[in-house]
Amino acid sequence: MAARVRALLTFAGLAATAVVLSSCDVGGLHPIFPNPVSPNGQDIYNTYLLISIPAIVIFLGVEIALLWVVLRYRRSKQPAGYVPPQVHGNTTLEVVWTVIPLIIVLAIAAGSFVELQRDFQPISNEQMTVVVSGYQFGWRYDYGNGVIVNQPGTLVGDVTPFVVPTHTLVKLQFRSSDVIHSWWVPAISGKTDAVPGYDNFSWLKIDQVGKWRGECAELCGAGHSTMQIIVQAMDQSDFNNWMDQQKAAAAKASPSPSP
Amino acid sequence: MATTVLPRPKAYDDSFFKPISIWLTTTDHKLIGIMYMVTGVLSFVVGGIFALVMRLQLSQPNLHIVDAETYNQIVSAHGVTMIFFFVTIFLTGIANYMVPIMIGARDMAFPRVNLLGFWLVPVSIILYYSGFFTGGALDAGWTGYAPLTEKLYQGKSLGVDFWALSIIVWAISGIMASTNFLTTILGLRAPGMRFSRLPLFVWAQVSTSILLLVVGAPLALAMILLEFDRQLGTQFFTTAGRPVLYQHLFWFFGHPEVYIMILPGFGMISEIIPVFARKPLFGYMSMVAALFGIVFLSMTVWAHHMFTVGMNTYVEGFFMLMTMLIAVPTGIKFFNWIATAWWGSVEFTVPMKFAFGFLATFLIGGLTGIYLASVPVDTQLHQSYYVVAHLHYVLFGGSVFTIMAGIYYWFPKITGRLLGRTLGEWNFWTLFVGFNGTFLIMHTLGLEGMPRRIATYANPAWAATNLIITVSSFLIAFSVLLLLINLVQSWRNGEIAGNDPWQGNTLEWATTSPPPPYNFERIPPVRSFMPLRDLRESGELVES
Repeated sequence: MAARVRALLTFAGLAATAVVLSSCDVGGLHPIFPNPVSPNGQDIYNTYLLISIPAIVIFLGVEIALLWVVLRYRRSKQPAGYVPPQVHGNTTLEVVWTVIPLIIVLAIAAGSFVELQRDFQPISNEQMTVVVSGYQFGWRYDYGNGVIVNQPGTLVGDVTPFVVPTHTLVKLQFRSSDVIHSWWVPAISGKTDAVPGYDNFSWLKIDQVGKWRGECAELCGAGHSTMQIIVQAMDQSDFNNWMDQQKAAAAKASPSPSP
Repeated sequence: MATTVLPRPKAYDDSFFKPISIWLTTTDHKLIGIMYMVTGVLSFVVGGIFALVMRLQLSQPNLHIVDAETYNQIVSAHGVTMIFFFVTIFLTGIANYMVPIMIGARDMAFPRVNLLGFWLVPVSIILYYSGFFTGGALDAGWTGYAPLTEKLYQGKSLGVDFWALSIIVWAISGIMASTNFLTTILGLRAPGMRFSRLPLFVWAQVSTSILLLVVGAPLALAMILLEFDRQLGTQFFTTAGRPVLYQHLFWFFGHPEVYIMILPGFGMISEIIPVFARKPLFGYMSMVAALFGIVFLSMTVWAHHMFTVGMNTYVEGFFMLMTMLIAVPTGIKFFNWIATAWWGSVEFTVPMKFAFGFLATFLIGGLTGIYLASVPVDTQLHQSYYVVAHLHYVLFGGSVFTIMAGIYYWFPKITGRLLGRTLGEWNFWTLFVGFNGTFLIMHTLGLEGMPRRIATYANPAWAATNLIITVSSFLIAFSVLLLLINLVQSWRNGEIAGNDPWQGNTLEWATTSPPPPYNFERIPPVRSFMPLRDLRESGELVES
């Protein structure tokens, strides 16, 4: 009896935890990614929800079946001298629980594959390209017009933001000059590795003004945890002003040789 | 009919393994098995201490109990110790002990290869830990991704070299053990022990051995090429070479290794549930087929660890599909286990509790595996604390819970004494609560953007969750302490178990506890996959 009470309490505790996790936002506990601000991030978010439907159903179904065995078929609940039926299998049942999971995973794979083709193919209609280079320990953003934003890693205060204009499809090209790094801002989209030797790519398109945080996701040495990222989206006019300031600062720092 | 075919003394006799000298030179598969298992448990304790240091460091933002370089060494050492020196080694040990007895053999096919294979393990362990005394051990994670492990970035210390050599020795030892298991199971089965009557634990060992034979050599190859880069100046994985090639080679080993660490556990659960439910295993043939389905699929999924390196989307789609398909054979096993216990007369002894704890928690690891297999979702979850949570649900909720079930189930056979039940109950409940408290909420940290393997963090929003995790992790440590106390105390003074304390189905319970060096006086007849139960029911089993 005591064992049964303990089992019930444990499962009740787990169920309560699950409910809390899925229903509220207290104490920084999120059951899902931060609200996506880029369409590719939104698509990933939707795929996550798509998988969650069968996952939650299967989770509840199997745990309830286990709980049923624990509560109903324990020896103390069976009549004295009960001899269980000596069943060796059931072909129909075994086919059913092979085919149904097969159909479920094929559906999940198909849905994921559609999303993969939509958002992870190389794009050619970008309105702007930024080369993002990872190094030990920080990020460098090359806008291709002479402006380079350096984002050296630190854990003290904020790092220099990487600024993009809103409503603009920005292609990100990832490079590394030393070891492998991984650029990750969860509110924007998934992570992309910066691997030495070839260019990797991703994109973003942010339709609201704001700042979002991320950090390097691939262990890259002692300063790995300092490689913080801040992405800042500005209106086009603010962005143009910012870009002009950067150009002026770049010209002052290294005056181009006069003809 | 009721002839005395199995005269079994009830007396408890462990005198033959008392002298210390016997342990150094023995070729007895049981003593070698015990040494493997003791090595595994000690590694579990060491790896656990590394984990506690990590948890202390992460319990609050901006803590610097150890500096970042030391932290990276500890992260790596935790992974290397747990995966290479604890789980795999312990499982090899329990199989070394049980497989020959379960198939009615007197020893492994190659006893001296067994001896050599075991003694390579301490060599491997000593090599790896030597790194700590030569300027710093491996600090690039247990996966040791190049080019971070290359000389340009790790020139000062020999830690990476010691790690690579250690893993090469480990792979050779594993290949020896696998060859030995396969030969033993193919060649030394008792009369009547057809393939259709092999216990599921033995089938699991067949599948595990095939996997390790296939993937052990590529692992050693990756390490050899890395050493060429470091010591001979080649450019296989350097910045000028192909760092991603290293990931392919490593994960071609690394993913099957996950199954090397869980399939023997599946085998144990398939032995334990029928015994305590008093029902035959449901769907024997589909259980065996599922094992080999997993073996095949597990060799076609390695690149799902690499969805962010920038592969062709069709290649990614292939690896995604194959990964998700593994859910099908795993699902078959789950449903068959539940069906085995359904309508049963289920006795929740400590091993059975751990078996059900395994089912309840491993399920979560399996389901999060589907999220991680989906390429788009994986780009968010990859290398985050979500992955840390997932892999611990698979390796702790999976491997460790099955190992615990195996320890409580077979300890009476190995030592002749039962493990204490009260301590065992405490052991189970503290582990179950501590484990879920530690790893369940870790999923949310990953979703919020906390990457794995960071030495510290500045974000105050992660503080509360991390503190709960750290407190829970000490509950796990307390639970492991209870296990150690129980092991030592019961081995000395535990209740005498007798030959067959659980009313088992398989042949290891047909001999004395502990079994004599030759295992059986007479090899018992085998008429089904539950030979001992047949003997008990036909009245041929007479205690002398």
